[in-house]
Amino acid sequence: MTLVHLTLTVNGRAYDLDVEPRRTLADALREDCGLTGTHLGCEHGVCGACTVLVDGEAVRSCLMFAVQCDGAVIRTVEGLAGADGTQHPLQAAFSAEHALQCGFCTPGFLMLAAGALEADPGVVGDAERLRELLTSNLCRCTGYEAIRRAVVAAAGDQHPGQPESGR
Amino acid sequence: MSATSDVIGARLPRREDDRLVRGAGCYVGDLRIEGCLDAVFVRSEAAHGVLRGVDLDAARALPRVAAAWAYADLPFLPDVPPMMDPDSVRGRPWPPLATDRVRYAGQPVAIVVGDDRYVAEDARDAVRADIDPLPVLLDPTDAAGSDVQLFPGSGNVAAEKEFGDPIDGAVWEQATVVVEASYRQQLLAHTYMENRAILVRPEDDGGLTVWVSHQAPHRLRRDIAGGFGLREEQVHVIVPDVGGAFGGKSETWPEYFVVVAAARRLGRPVRWLEDRAEALTGPPHGRGQNQRVRMAADADGRILAYELHIDADVGGYPHTGSFVPMATSMMATGAYAIPQVHVRTRAVVTNTAPTAPYRGAGRPEAASAIERTVDLLAHRLGRDPGEVRRRNFIWPDAFPYDTPTGFTYDSGDYAKALEVALNELDYDGWRAEQARRAAVGEPPIGIGLCTYVERSGAGEEFGAVEACADGSFVALSGCCSTGQGHETSFPQVVAAVLGVEPQRVRLIERDTAIIPQGIGSFASRSMQTGGAALHRAAGRLIDAARQRIAERWAVPVAEVTYEAGVLTAGERSASMADVAAGGVLRADETYAPPEAFPFGAYGAVVEVDPELGKVSVLRLVAVDDYGVVVNPLIVDGQGRGSTVQGIGQALYEDVRYDSDGLVETRSLLDYLVPTISELPPTRFAETCTPNPNTPLGAKGAGEAGCIGAPPAIVNAVADALGLRERDALQMPLTPYTCWSAAR
Amino acid sequence: MKPAPFSYVVARSADDVVAALADGRTDVLAGGQSLVLEMNYRARRPARLVDINRVPGFDRLEPDGDVLRVGPLVRHRAFEGDTVPGPLGTLLRRVVHHIAHPPIRARGTLLGSLAYAHPAAEWPAVVTALGADLELTGRDGHRTVSAADFFRGPFDTARRAGELLTELRVPLLPPGTRVGFAEHRRTHASFAQLAVIAAVTLTQGRVSAARIGLVNAADRPVRAHGAEAALLNRPLDDPAITEAGRVAAEQDADPRPQPHADLGYQRHAVAVLTRRALAQARDQG
Ligand SMILES: Cc1cc2nc3c(=O)[nH]c(=O)nc-3n(C[C@H](O)[C@H](O)[C@H](O)COP(=O)(O)OP(=O)(O)OC[C@H]3O[C@@H](n4cnc5c(N)ncnc54)[C@H](O)[C@@H]3O)c2cc1C
Ligand code: FES
Ligand code: FES
Repeated sequence: MTLVHLTLTVNGRAYDLDVEPRRTLADALREDCGLTGTHLGCEHGVCGACTVLVDGEAVRSCLMFAVQCDGAVIRTVEGLAGADGTQHPLQAAFSAEHALQCGFCTPGFLMLAAGALEADPGVVGDAERLRELLTSNLCRCTGYEAIRRAVVAAAGDQHPGQPESGR
Repeated sequence: MSATSDVIGARLPRREDDRLVRGAGCYVGDLRIEGCLDAVFVRSEAAHGVLRGVDLDAARALPRVAAAWAYADLPFLPDVPPMMDPDSVRGRPWPPLATDRVRYAGQPVAIVVGDDRYVAEDARDAVRADIDPLPVLLDPTDAAGSDVQLFPGSGNVAAEKEFGDPIDGAVWEQATVVVEASYRQQLLAHTYMENRAILVRPEDDGGLTVWVSHQAPHRLRRDIAGGFGLREEQVHVIVPDVGGAFGGKSETWPEYFVVVAAARRLGRPVRWLEDRAEALTGPPHGRGQNQRVRMAADADGRILAYELHIDADVGGYPHTGSFVPMATSMMATGAYAIPQVHVRTRAVVTNTAPTAPYRGAGRPEAASAIERTVDLLAHRLGRDPGEVRRRNFIWPDAFPYDTPTGFTYDSGDYAKALEVALNELDYDGWRAEQARRAAVGEPPIGIGLCTYVERSGAGEEFGAVEACADGSFVALSGCCSTGQGHETSFPQVVAAVLGVEPQRVRLIERDTAIIPQGIGSFASRSMQTGGAALHRAAGRLIDAARQRIAERWAVPVAEVTYEAGVLTAGERSASMADVAAGGVLRADETYAPPEAFPFGAYGAVVEVDPELGKVSVLRLVAVDDYGVVVNPLIVDGQGRGSTVQGIGQALYEDVRYDSDGLVETRSLLDYLVPTISELPPTRFAETCTPNPNTPLGAKGAGEAGCIGAPPAIVNAVADALGLRERDALQMPLTPYTCWSAAR
Repeated sequence: MKPAPFSYVVARSADDVVAALADGRTDVLAGGQSLVLEMNYRARRPARLVDINRVPGFDRLEPDGDVLRVGPLVRHRAFEGDTVPGPLGTLLRRVVHHIAHPPIRARGTLLGSLAYAHPAAEWPAVVTALGADLELTGRDGHRTVSAADFFRGPFDTARRAGELLTELRVPLLPPGTRVGFAEHRRTHASFAQLAVIAAVTLTQGRVSAARIGLVNAADRPVRAHGAEAALLNRPLDDPAITEAGRVAAEQDADPRPQPHADLGYQRHAVAVLTRRALAQARDQG
């Protein structure tokens, strides 16, 4: 077993790791960096519980190898809150809207939304784009409606749309 | 307004959220336990066969592999204990690692343990299991009549029971209309986002610490202790954060015993984190019933008799699935007063993975059978389905009502729930739209209804409240939150009784070293039973404090009053903290309220693509009556989540087996759960009929949508297609199913 | 669900990749959105991966004369915006929203999808319908294979061991071409059960060229030549569209057993979706 040396920059901190090439980014984050907020729900790209930002882009960390991320800038749910611990607006909105129950899918949804809002906050103003975005991840508990509301609320929009419409 | 009425019913944000949104929750896989190894199971690739041998040499030779063991290496392994019904298990033992036979694909044949899951999977792949295939049985009705016996000498029918009395044959002949139908409750995968997980650490004193993603830690403790010859106190079960359960995590699964055995033998912590490929292969699967119904009615639509035959698939081992169809049987008549009722139920072993309760656990199956049949009856009679339901409801003055199948319904107003649902749906408006579309040839729509009754709660629960010298209170509960927010709602209950701020009350549960006893969280029982226990415990805490103050001040107890955390007698007053400072002030309670019967009415409007058969739900209305609601934020969430799972069963989800008995739906690209894009526009409404049997008045909440949504949607599709015969319309209603049913 | 061991090499040029592939035990790692999935299931166990994500220039996406050139690192997402002009851009944009969802599209590549040749994937049928060419590069240099010859069956292509797919060249659609796409799938997270791509050029009100592609209607992507012929020289009216659908179902499609659909239903659905794709082309261009 040959180990590869690499540096992951996660939430602004550099982690020097020696890992097997086959180690997924998700396992490197969880097991090697100790950042267990990134969850594994399916390990085949469907559920999105493992979603993190790699160079600003929301991706499935179960479908990337850590070696591919040498030098990349990675953000996980642990890096969302402010330096003083203040919750990110998305975190606060998820709680206020009851957008989580068991919470297992939550980090993935938060990172999916964080990436999208940073790229273009306008995504919440376009119901179709928002629907397409949130279709990326699965939640088995909440029935999604609250998640949609939370993302809209976090974007600062005072009009979360028709609360009863999922389409 | 008293503090009680303020706090009960408040939409308090959840306390568990802060850690969970920060990624600081702790699920079993997140634990960092020094020296912990990863276990992986070698699983049978045959659904039925004779196990000739297991070759572990190559696996053992791999570096970083600590162990590779089959049953022969761990002969002290106890059989998997039955969960409810020991009779069904007699003659059908379930060894946690296969001994001489395998009875479902995926059955554990060996365990391998390695430094991490990667090497453990390498070792798994190096193991060879030699299995001679046997004929495979996949359908419970076929299996019941087959010569092939899964357990030679014990027959494939693991349990058989009748409910109600056989129906007088004349009824069928004399009735104006008799409808008959067959329904299939497909197999479902629970699909909690966190799969099953357990971590076992052997302790120096011979005991065990077990972290597990579970719904019933005390039962697991008892099973582990019993199985391995330990005293219960030696087994410390801790349930950390749980990523959903839905009935699939209340059992003692074979893998748990094998992990315990491996950890003990290695003297090291070992964890098993099930992966999605394992989870989708099962066990557990949910549902899995063949139902055959017959219903007779007079010309007015009054139901005269209802007959239900169930063949339930319990999979390769009957341990956890066999009581589910019994629950279906007891709920057979739903919201209706039916003079003659007869149910015959068989729990049958097959070569599918073992079944277990899945959200609703028998009630969705019951509601689906009767609600589809009542709808069919209305269609045959040419009467409005709402009207036929009203004609047969159990009316509010009939409670408590003894059902022919053996339950006593506590309270309800079914007609009111239906009325609210019809209004919320704009039933008349949609009927007009339906007629308009038919007239101009636009795509057909259909309207479907469901009125359900569910049973919630079962047995007793433990609750205790302790006052602390710092002015705070600790509530202890035997329940086990798996995402339902007990840390928020249980303190609400206690705070309401004590008349204090909810923030002053903190909940502890899910730890057998702190909580002396408990049953757990399933069957929508937590608030109804566990909440009621805490309610009583808080009341008794006040009594105890008054008693103690009376002694201290030498006044009659009757003169000591309590309000908002303060005890008063004449001029003197003391806080609960003062009393607690003088010695432990705690009240323990074990409370077993009667079962409760929440109910509701659902309505769906669907459009069916006339060319491709694809169903679009245009509108869904859910009216639920959970009795008193403690935290509407949480209860609404339960309603929404369970409704989406109900939509999943109605339209998308299906564990599919090939003819060799292998699961074909092994990924979430094949086993389709709803995404946000599958959500229909949905309205939720409530009626409130308090539980008359507990001081709190809460009934169970959490499974409603899984019960109400599927029949409403299926009935709507049948209506849209104008189907007279509905046997072809089986869930999930894929486009192809609807298209072929319409031809 | 952890992959079996492999070793890993980063390529900096096409030559690096070709050199790495020479051992016959190495696979190309592009977006990884199918390869890693299969490796996690241990359905694939390459001894080595050559990562092409750091090869400069592989993300080339540009019209050049009358073709669109697409390099091996052009992600699905590139087609979501206005990068590709004209009717071809419109068609690719319509299609891409049906492929997985944003995080997968941020990684997965168009060429990777072609190389993978999933029977229900959209891109293979698109490039087949449009008569695209694929450039393969191996130790002996480049060769060009038409899309029609490239796909041989589920997960089976004309790519030889040791070859890298270096470029896709899609003919641009002439101005005035109208495009349509219709897909049938069970949920928004699932692959297509069936889909139809249509591009129709009208000259003086009559069809002068038609390109119709079928997704998952046979063991490989189908160019519906029969349906195309049925449209030629006719106005794009309802009878013509219906006729094209009928021909696509009866002559062009060659459906295979699928869960949740018998063969009759599949043919029927080909007719319906062909009609819908053509109607969209006519009505929404
Ligand atoms: C949840 C999910 C949903 C999806 N839904 C859809 C969908 O709806 N429709 C759809 O079409 N696809 C879907 N996909 C698949 C997705 O489109 C993949 O991205 C695509 O199939 C492969 O592209 P890739 O770049 O990721 O290739 P990789 O996964 O990196 O590679 C795939 C295969 O192609 C080979 N390969 C890749 N590039 C080259 C090259 N340039 N030359 C030679 N060989 C090469 C690899 O060696 C490998 O064998 C889905 C995937 C997931 C995980
Ligand atoms: S764990 Fe990565 S998508 Fe499910
Ligand atoms: S909150 Fe449980 S899966 Fe989303």
